[in-house]
Amino acid sequence: MSSNKIEELKKRRQKEIKPKKSQLPYFFFVGFISFIIAYYFLNTNIRYSIIWTIGIMIGITMQRSRFCFAASFRDPIMVGTTSLFRAVIIGLIISTIGFSIFQYIQIGNIANYSLADVPGQIHPVGFHTILGAILFGIGMVIAGGCASGTLIRIGEGYAMQVVVLIGFIIGTVLSSNHFEFWDKLFISSSKTIYIPKHIGFFPALVIQLTALSTLYLLANWYDKQNNIMADL
Amino acid sequence: MAEYKLDCMFEACPIPLLKALKKLKKMKIGDVLIMQTDHNCSITNVIEWTKKQGHYIDYIEIGEGEWEIYIEKAK
Repeated sequence: MSSNKIEELKKRRQKEIKPKKSQLPYFFFVGFISFIIAYYFLNTNIRYSIIWTIGIMIGITMQRSRFCFAASFRDPIMVGTTSLFRAVIIGLIISTIGFSIFQYIQIGNIANYSLADVPGQIHPVGFHTILGAILFGIGMVIAGGCASGTLIRIGEGYAMQVVVLIGFIIGTVLSSNHFEFWDKLFISSSKTIYIPKHIGFFPALVIQLTALSTLYLLANWYDKQNNIMADL
Repeated sequence: MAEYKLDCMFEACPIPLLKALKKLKKMKIGDVLIMQTDHNCSITNVIEWTKKQGHYIDYIEIGEGEWEIYIEKAK
């Protein structure tokens, strides 16, 4: 939605702007290098080339869509917009369906499977989950991006995000040194909960999808409710 | 009609949005806010937020990765 005043300002400004240089040569240069890397690993270790290609595709998607996990959890509270939050929920719905297909192929026909056989990241849940989430959440909002967001912004050329990356690396090194301490304190005594093992595979899937869809509808409703200016 | 400039260059997300929000509150109806930012997330979240509030908004790219956002307070 634009107005006459804005159109006038835009026209005035447009004349002052110099034409931009095309960045296509850079694109082809970087594209060519990534292709060579993918091709090199095709012969030596095909796993690397698959991960490399998928990683690049995820990166392009996230950059172009301006997908940001930090904003998705911050904006609903700060300004009342939930479009990114809903995008995360949709992502979770899709990955729930995808993961259940893989898990069903692996364990669907086995009556008494062990959790180690189930594909995916199934880890103990407990106090450490809450503590870690709070720490990560605070850091993410102060730094202006989560891990993927920080990397994307470094790629775009934001110097500040390089500082964040240094902090990120220091934090990761420190935490891997501390892991044993946390493991003794909370993680080893916490339970690993895999809901399908308790109530069956399909009921668990249905419950999870229902919960996510309800959250989506709630977020949609919340977005429409917040039409007033945020009080700051 | 008054024009206000807001320099949000090199500010991290979500500072541009918060600055615009505070400035808009002080402005009168019909005033225009010109916001300069190098943060591409501002394009999405400032525009989404302003449209929801019902103000007029548009933007142009003034350099590589630098934008000017125009907001006219409508209510």
